[in-house]
Amino acid sequence: MDAVYAVAQGALVLAQAGLTGEISGSLNLVGYGLAAVGPGIGIGIVVGNAITAMVRQPEMEGTVRTTMFLGIAFTEALALIGFVLFFIG
Amino acid sequence: MGDVTVLAVSACDVEGEVICAPTDINELFEFTTPLFSIGGFNFTRTVFLIFAAMAIVLGALFVGLRRQQLVPSRFEIAIESLVGFVRDDIAKGVIGTAHGMRYLPYLLSLFFFLLVGNVFKVTPLINFPISSRMAIPAFLAMVTWVIFVFVGFAKNGFKHYFIDTIWPKSVPLALRWLVGLIELVSIFVLRPITLAVRLFANMVAGHLMLTLLLVSGVLFLGGVGDIGIKAGIGIVWFVFGLAIWVFELVVAILQAYIFTLLSAVYIQTSLEPAH
Repeated sequence: MDAVYAVAQGALVLAQAGLTGEISGSLNLVGYGLAAVGPGIGIGIVVGNAITAMVRQPEMEGTVRTTMFLGIAFTEALALIGFVLFFIG
Repeated sequence: MGDVTVLAVSACDVEGEVICAPTDINELFEFTTPLFSIGGFNFTRTVFLIFAAMAIVLGALFVGLRRQQLVPSRFEIAIESLVGFVRDDIAKGVIGTAHGMRYLPYLLSLFFFLLVGNVFKVTPLINFPISSRMAIPAFLAMVTWVIFVFVGFAKNGFKHYFIDTIWPKSVPLALRWLVGLIELVSIFVLRPITLAVRLFANMVAGHLMLTLLLVSGVLFLGGVGDIGIKAGIGIVWFVFGLAIWVFELVVAILQAYIFTLLSAVYIQTSLEPAH
């Protein structure tokens, strides 16, 4: 019975440590990391599809490249806003 | 002014650390000591670089386009192809041949000023992108905002430009208010903010990366007498920093292009709003 009591006591101590334990470090950094995930995937999709389009229709390369840069710029804005909030947040 | 950068990392302990992170990043972007003052206006290094960028742009355009020769020199060919690129690809290509030439002077000055200002980031001895101070991207984005809003109202009138944007007839009635609200916020609020923040954040990030890596490399290699074999870390940071240097050169040119391109796209959408 004492063993059960000791285990329960230990679990309680651990739970309390988990509840009150400090997670040190910058939360801004985690926020920026999360903000970078979506645009990363998005830029990959934009550039991948642009390459497909350029290979299929090489005569449209100029138009596709301009549009690709536009798409990258719009997608990238989210990550950059996250980057700014990392500093000012 | 190289001492300012070193000041920020002079507290770096090369024996205990593996990278020299600047303790206060504001120190890398703020030059508070004025070179000289004219009636209360402090002429700092940033202001000096703004005027230097203006002088470089004006000088390059003047020398490059001063006389039209049958066989132009290499420099003239370079300047002419840059001007031709902005004219054909951005002004005429995006806005259209009918109206493009009218906005060419603005787009051209925007592109050249930002090109020089951004490339300052990777120029030895200068090493400071003037567009990493929010004042410059914010002001240029505001000018673009004023131009495209003014053009929208002047060309299409209040009803066709503003009412059709916030109350789009092509959308089902149940969703119309929502789409209109999104359009209103995105066109008149988010467009200038993202335009400025995109350029600003790219330049700040690049400047921080270059400072962190190259200064770490120099400090570790310089401390070879004190820390011995650990100075090898400096080689890694230095090589990595030089690779980022090439990448940042591409980013600097690309961001000048993207800022100009987006300005042209915004003006074009104001000229011919979607129906």
